[in-house]
Amino acid sequence: MKPCCQATATFSAHTGQLLVALAGNPNSGKTTIFNALTGLRQKVANYPGVTVEKKTGRCRLPNGTCVSIVDLPGTYSLISRSPDEVVAMQVLRGLRPEMPAPDVVVVVVDASNLQRNLYLVSQLIELGRPLVVALNMMDIAERRGLHVDAEALSRQLDAPVVPVIGHRRSGIEQLREAISQARVAKMPNWPLPEAMKEELVVVGGGLAILDHDEPSAGRPQAGPPVNLHRLVPEDDPRRLDRYQALAERLLIGDYAEDLSEISRREPVASLLASAHTRLGMMGVDPMQADIEAHYRWIESVAGRSTATLEELAAMGAQPPRTEVVRTPPRQNFSQSLDAILIHKVWGLLIFAAIMGALFVSIFWLAQPVQDGIEWVIGWLGQGLTSRMSDGPLKALIEDGIFAGVGAVVVFVPQIALLFFFLAILEDSGYLARAAFLMDRLLAKVGLHGKSFIPLLSSFACAIPGIMATRTIENRKDRLATILVAPFMSCSARLPVYTLLIGAFFAGFGALGQAGIMLGLYALGIVVAAAVAWVFRRTLLRGGASPFILEMPSYKLPQASQVARQVTVNTWAFLAKAGTIIFCLSVILWAMTYYPRLDERARARFADEKAVASAQLEHSIAGRLGHAMEPLIRPLGYDWKMGVGLVGAFAAREVFVSTLGIIYSVGDVGEQTTDLSAAMRADRRPDGRPVWTPLIGLSLLVWFVLAMQCTSTLAVVKRETNGWRWPLFLLVYMNGLAWLVCLGIYQIGRLI
Amino acid sequence: MEKTKDDGRHTQRLSKLPVGASGVVVGVDGDAELRRRLLEMGFCNGASIEVVRKAPLGDPVEYRLRGYHLSLRQEQARHVKVAHSAKATH
Repeated sequence: MKPCCQATATFSAHTGQLLVALAGNPNSGKTTIFNALTGLRQKVANYPGVTVEKKTGRCRLPNGTCVSIVDLPGTYSLISRSPDEVVAMQVLRGLRPEMPAPDVVVVVVDASNLQRNLYLVSQLIELGRPLVVALNMMDIAERRGLHVDAEALSRQLDAPVVPVIGHRRSGIEQLREAISQARVAKMPNWPLPEAMKEELVVVGGGLAILDHDEPSAGRPQAGPPVNLHRLVPEDDPRRLDRYQALAERLLIGDYAEDLSEISRREPVASLLASAHTRLGMMGVDPMQADIEAHYRWIESVAGRSTATLEELAAMGAQPPRTEVVRTPPRQNFSQSLDAILIHKVWGLLIFAAIMGALFVSIFWLAQPVQDGIEWVIGWLGQGLTSRMSDGPLKALIEDGIFAGVGAVVVFVPQIALLFFFLAILEDSGYLARAAFLMDRLLAKVGLHGKSFIPLLSSFACAIPGIMATRTIENRKDRLATILVAPFMSCSARLPVYTLLIGAFFAGFGALGQAGIMLGLYALGIVVAAAVAWVFRRTLLRGGASPFILEMPSYKLPQASQVARQVTVNTWAFLAKAGTIIFCLSVILWAMTYYPRLDERARARFADEKAVASAQLEHSIAGRLGHAMEPLIRPLGYDWKMGVGLVGAFAAREVFVSTLGIIYSVGDVGEQTTDLSAAMRADRRPDGRPVWTPLIGLSLLVWFVLAMQCTSTLAVVKRETNGWRWPLFLLVYMNGLAWLVCLGIYQIGRLI
Repeated sequence: MEKTKDDGRHTQRLSKLPVGASGVVVGVDGDAELRRRLLEMGFCNGASIEVVRKAPLGDPVEYRLRGYHLSLRQEQARHVKVAHSAKATH
């Protein structure tokens, strides 16, 4: 690899473009700044090998330079262990193979939350890349009675500080200008404890000797050789000793990939261990000492660059240059809103109302739009094939390709609505409150407060539900939520529930039937809770996954940002998951179409419905249904149900229409009375009925618990960036469903 | 844990502070990852912190420090040691 990591703003050798990394805390308004800088020229992808979203865009600087901007994941720090932070650190240090180190780093700082935001800035200064600070949310700070003096802050940080208001695009031109002139900030003198400074000298000296003695010695067991020389920072004129800089990173436990490897290698490992022992005896923890030194510096920087508005008035509106003692901010807007929105009674009522609105809109509001889309696609398919004669090509276009497109597009209204709500909830700051309100309930089974909305959405459809888990930062919390979300009874299960309950539990009366329906929903919730509890103690154990939830101040969501969120996410779904869903649905169509009955066989049947039924039995799906019989007979099902289950993999409601074809009752629409009658009349060769209420019950439970939705699997594949978790989901849910249904049928038969 | 120091202040777990009380951080324990996370969020020695409110279901609890708000589960808050003046304000 060519050395392309100079510490000044130069053109990246291999792209011929300036690369800018955009960093910032979550809730700092980073996305708004990114959008304002890049406009519509953005790309969303995943970093190879991890489930972290990579957003890149382009913009042009006032001097005509073309710039590539990479939007780093929002992080509070660069050193902790979450995948987001590791990726951010790797990008900034030029450790990711797909891109060079950035030429300039722009860090977005929330002026109303200066101290904590400056912590990330302090780490970026240490990193030694040319730095520009975009000071956002000055308006909110002012409303809280706090004035941040950008010029004073710039002097303190030794980096340009550009006040910006992202959503009004104000300050963006100045920001572009500052990027073109960015330079490395001088190294502040962190007030580290003396003992630690001494150890830096000792360990740094040791590292220098090791480096000069054996520049390429000591290879790890696997992987490329890692030699100390490569890790020593590039010449950084700000540092007296670059080995001490490396020593500091090693001592405080910087988790960047390259360092964890070197710190375990022998001569270095014992060097570090003895330093830790000496510091430990003096009661100094290097990690804590480092963070506290940063914060002490931050307190002084913030103190010298902020003033309350009263102080400003007292000084005749002259921004103070000296350290000021600030009075705590007064009761502000967010605080008074929170007094209602997280109130014991009103808070929960408002929460229920908001969640109700969200649910109703993805459950019912999306329905007519979905029906319309399906109708249009069906109409287009028929229009295209109306002049074609019946045959494989016509069937492929109509039932394969157009139905496949329909299977993808049908999710768009729900996904768009969900992201519309999510964008509003997240941008307004309410999402954190929702998590705050619900955390207690979900924590009991090892989930997170932020799991609530994904699980709720899954009652409409698991696809938007699983996409909504993106709001959960912790990887294990997110995975646990994804793994149990499909247990929520989605709207596609409703036709199946209705058919089976209507066919076999008609005697229970309307109230009894409603009770059964409610029981099925409850079963899904109970099983999801139990499974989440088990997974958190087995598969997804470990890593304390601390619940630390920032409560950002309330903001008015911006229409343009909401619209962008909706389009970007809907498009990402179509491009990534959509192609998989389309392919799978064409394959499933082929399975019900091939092989064909020959003409002689067809001639034996009286009418078209009977031919269709025989054709389905003859097809791969029909044969699979027969082949599955030994596996599903213990649950009480026969091959017809097997075919229905195969069909249900396209979408659960297809179970109903597949049975309709098998029982030769033709197209089953809303009216299922013919089908119910045919099912009840069906007899086995020995005269016993094929369907009994017990079998109906077993099949209902199967539909609650089984994973038989290829679209869900496709979305899980996209969200987890691999086939491992969707395959696991398929195996464990169906295994669980099989065991439970076996128990129901076998025990039920004995009673 | 609830010891009175010679300067007349009590040290206590943050999770034990009632709503409306405030204190000064005097230490953070727990495993390295949690400690780092809490320190980085600003729970350094000497930082003042105020208990803002409890969630309606009792947990988590919202705190204010360094001019911003965040919430912690009791499980995490008990790893923060705070010194507070003898009696809570409310």
